[in-house]
Amino acid sequence: MPAPLQIEWLGRIGWREALEAQRKRVEARRADAGPDSLLLLEHPPVITLGRSADPAHLLESRAALAARGIEVQEAARGGSATYHGPGQLVGYLIVDLAARGVPDVHRFLRGIESDLIAAIEELGVAARALPGLTGVFADAPGTPRKLASIGVGLRGWVSFHGFALNVSLDPTAFAPIVPCGLAGIEIGSLARELGAGAGEDLDSRARAAVAAAFAARWDAP
Amino acid sequence: MPVAVELPSLGESVVEGTVSRWLVKEGDHVEIDQPLVEVTTDKVDAEIPAPVAGLIQKILVPEGQTVAVGAPLVMIEADAGSKAPSKPAAAPAAAPAAAQPRGAEAPTPATPLARRLAEEAKVDLRKVTGTGAAGRVTKQDVEQAASGRSRPAAEPASPPAAGRPAYLGYSLQEGDRVVPMTPLRRLVAEHMVLSKRVSPHVGTVAEIDMSGVSRVRDAHKRGFEQDHGFGLSFLPFIVHATVRALREFPRLNASVLEDAIVEKKDIHIGIAVETEKGLVVPVARHADRLSLAGLAQAVEDLANRARTKKLSADELKGGSFTISNPGRFGNLYGFAIINQPQVGILRMGEIVKRPVVRTLEGEDAIVIRPIMHLALSYDHRAVDGAPANGFLHRIRELLEEAEFDL
Repeated sequence: MPAPLQIEWLGRIGWREALEAQRKRVEARRADAGPDSLLLLEHPPVITLGRSADPAHLLESRAALAARGIEVQEAARGGSATYHGPGQLVGYLIVDLAARGVPDVHRFLRGIESDLIAAIEELGVAARALPGLTGVFADAPGTPRKLASIGVGLRGWVSFHGFALNVSLDPTAFAPIVPCGLAGIEIGSLARELGAGAGEDLDSRARAAVAAAFAARWDAP
Repeated sequence: MPVAVELPSLGESVVEGTVSRWLVKEGDHVEIDQPLVEVTTDKVDAEIPAPVAGLIQKILVPEGQTVAVGAPLVMIEADAGSKAPSKPAAAPAAAPAAAQPRGAEAPTPATPLARRLAEEAKVDLRKVTGTGAAGRVTKQDVEQAASGRSRPAAEPASPPAAGRPAYLGYSLQEGDRVVPMTPLRRLVAEHMVLSKRVSPHVGTVAEIDMSGVSRVRDAHKRGFEQDHGFGLSFLPFIVHATVRALREFPRLNASVLEDAIVEKKDIHIGIAVETEKGLVVPVARHADRLSLAGLAQAVEDLANRARTKKLSADELKGGSFTISNPGRFGNLYGFAIINQPQVGILRMGEIVKRPVVRTLEGEDAIVIRPIMHLALSYDHRAVDGAPANGFLHRIRELLEEAEFDL
């Protein structure tokens, strides 16, 4: 069996820098010279546009965004526009799916969803997946509130990119875009679901819960 | 020797992928494992590496095109002596691990030891779930299968079924015909459920006298067909009137965001077309910049190419409002489901001669007129009843006035 998933906390790092870190690890993993890893981190404010992003999904000019300290980056991934920023826990998974014996992207996506749901419930928020919509949503009535977005790249069978979980981030930070090209869902966050019960240390507890949930699945023999 | 690189199976329920970007061009020399092409499926971008070193001979699938798993993407003239590496990570073309029973012609990937053991223990390799590299069946898998502890391969944890409430279940009865959903059917189904979930639909219907449009159409029918090579239908008139009304009621040409409504500058009209493969909605872009003849041309062209499956992915995206024309007969009116993230959709009813009351020379009289019911479904989050009715009424006025330039 492959070695256990190596989980690292990289702190707050720029989107480009994190991309480079992923690229190196993907190359190492493909050459069998590196482990499967989960990089946990936070980005400074940045909007990334996937390949299928419609320019109409960006609702403010780049200049206006830059003036507010928000970068715009074109990402070599599927999907549409998304926002990353402080208070959002980003997880990049560099995993050799073939070596894990599960070369199946849909099962991989569903696995990420179920790990995130486990972590979110650990923090006291009911969460669910919605058939047909990749991501994790608050399990509550009304308009679906998206707590985590998921988007994955593959080079050969080695994955990169991963998920972004809104922990204490203010959902209105998504206002300049139509997230993931989906109107009709709301962006939520754990802090908002928890209300007064969120607590000061929510970010660090979320980090621990996510690390534990992924370790539980990926380390299992 | 030329080698075809096929779209690998990226998972059990992945049946097709869209070529998003070629990273090489014809005539390039590539090394083993060099990324050739990026393929997009739902939420996943996969780079397909070269299985051999060689010369890119021919790219078979252009960017933007969606093809089925197994379809050849590119031909590589392999260098002498180059052969596929055995490293599984470099060869996603290997069969997925989550095995559906495989066809006889596709040998189950297995280690030689596992193969020998399976023969001895009379275990059918095709029914064993491989847990080894690239889904290969290992010795341990065979031992487990032999002792009956293995999960039967025919029922892997099927992700799409997970989370579906039990009351939707139905146990099959004898004589039932099970028709698996095509990917398009599944997409349509998911979209319909999503739309009904996120958007409170309200319906309203107008009765429209199509005499004026009929007259214009009859007057130009022959000339139009001679000039353009196809018949002039009613649909372009409806699209034209709708576009004009949308300019006056921008709230219907909109999307709902979390705390805001975006009224869009551009008007791109989706035209729902029923094809052999199912429902598709190609988009006439900038429909407000087109003349009636231009719209007729655009609608005809999109519908034709939808039926011959020659639409590009981009032509199915980005609509700001949709019109559905579900056919002539047995269709008085009905309410369509809104095509998200739009806020309104019109559905045309059949055009039938009906007795209606008109005032002729100061006297009420019953006259016979071609009448169409036009039904608007709108999203009550964005639009209230009065403006929705105002919009529909404006379309009616425009169609009844019938001042169209051809």
